[in-house]
Amino acid sequence: MSEAGDHKDYSYVMDIFPQQNKDETKLWGFFENLKQGKLTTTKCKACGYMFWPPEAICPECLSEEIEYVEIPKKGKVYAFSVQVGALPPQFKAPLIHAVIDLDNGLRLLSSIVETDPKDIHVGDEVALKILSIPPDSHGDRVLFFFRKEA
Amino acid sequence: MKRVAIVAGGVNKWGKRAATFRQLVQEAGKVCFDSYSNISNKDIQGFILATAYSERTAIQIHPASFMAQVLGVHPTKLYMRVENQCASGTTALRTAWWAIASGYVDMVMCVGAEKLLIPSHDEIFFNASSATDKEWEGCFGMNPPSLFAMVAQAHMRKYGTTEEQLGKVALKNHAHATKTPYAHHYERYQKHGKVSLETIMCSKVVSSPLKLFDCCTNTDGAAAIILASEEKAKELTDKPVYLVGTGQVCLNGSWAAAHKDWSEWPALKLAAKQAYEMAGVKPEDIDLAEIHDCFSISEIIETEEFGWCKKGEGGKFVENGLSDYGGQIVINPRGGLIACGHPFGATGIAQAYEIFLQLRGEAGERQVKDAKTALNHNLSGLGEHHVIIYKSGVD
Repeated sequence: MSEAGDHKDYSYVMDIFPQQNKDETKLWGFFENLKQGKLTTTKCKACGYMFWPPEAICPECLSEEIEYVEIPKKGKVYAFSVQVGALPPQFKAPLIHAVIDLDNGLRLLSSIVETDPKDIHVGDEVALKILSIPPDSHGDRVLFFFRKEA
Repeated sequence: MKRVAIVAGGVNKWGKRAATFRQLVQEAGKVCFDSYSNISNKDIQGFILATAYSERTAIQIHPASFMAQVLGVHPTKLYMRVENQCASGTTALRTAWWAIASGYVDMVMCVGAEKLLIPSHDEIFFNASSATDKEWEGCFGMNPPSLFAMVAQAHMRKYGTTEEQLGKVALKNHAHATKTPYAHHYERYQKHGKVSLETIMCSKVVSSPLKLFDCCTNTDGAAAIILASEEKAKELTDKPVYLVGTGQVCLNGSWAAAHKDWSEWPALKLAAKQAYEMAGVKPEDIDLAEIHDCFSISEIIETEEFGWCKKGEGGKFVENGLSDYGGQIVINPRGGLIACGHPFGATGIAQAYEIFLQLRGEAGERQVKDAKTALNHNLSGLGEHHVIIYKSGVD
């Protein structure tokens, strides 16, 4: 009998990362943009609502007419925490989690990378840093991180 | 609408238990039926099981029917499993309430249970991350400890709340739990005495600024409650405890989609207002409260949003002993999630059972003097709050 983890598709149920590829998610365009260095979100063409997180159907008017719009790559830290315990598998301490207010007022949550945990403060300017995350059976994957501006 | 009352309840021993999920359920159900012998498992028409992680930690999907079966309960009116993460218990109680209030069913049993201390402990933190918005937030490895840590930072920055004030929440709740034999940490108190402020303040950081003792404890546990219509309740007991008000609000799921100032909890304010108005009571009428101290900061903010102190003064409130015995209101008399442990589905039901005992004057060493009105609260996220107010049926 093989180890459960060896089963090709079993890893799916222990996958904490988002599905990103064309045959897995309708929002594959977001991740394609990200792979090209662009941070985008979805904006509703029907009612004009721009929101985070991105969605395939507008969460306000339920229109499917959505478009990707580029959003700022820079923002300010509203709050952060350096997490060293209670981590899911695959994550290594320390993680710096942050609430980031982008320059256009949109808020998202992300992690701060390439930064000493001692050097991060509320109000710090941070900038987008796109990094690879473990691939799934459908291909490569990336995620939007931030780093402190020098 | 019919009035609805709690008529029975029970809690099993919480901790690292050599027992499976269904055995935890059996224990709590047995305590409940054994303690209130005028109610039999054959009297139960409705059965609601509250559990959050059963698929992943008990590897049991669709658990309600099996858990009814092992308790000899054969529901003929309704049965279901409910899941609202940490608020699954209060969600079950509210569901039972409106089923009875509508006149559809006379008596419903709610059982909550969680098996959390499994060999692959990482699974719990994986689940905790996947209980946030997994695709956009949990994918960074963040989970309630780090999310509530950022809430704490926001509150500390805006109002000057201190780490020591956070520690005072844990100090109070661990002291309360020295009188709660089912609490996760009870044996520790027996061996080593009360938890000191120094132990709390020197405990390791989990997610800054929150330390281990600021966090609730993962535990195995179960709890049961039986609710009945007023007519039925009066047949069964001369001390029913009435559910007199409730509120439930969900303003967002994703934390990024929530309101901007995390030191304020508008969804809780709204749920509290609903419950107070329905019950016809004011904040100062509440004698004791079982509220959701998933983290120390949560209890501080809840103290403010429920209107027991001014906004921003929750830290001072606990520091000055106003939420302890002899204070303004007794908060978490059984020791809360921090000291009893937090078996998600069981928590809200165990809180309600504590209120049942308190309002009947049966809470023993934990008894809050002359308790007539009590409040129960769970949360399942920054913008998701669940409130129930109970009143003693004895004038």
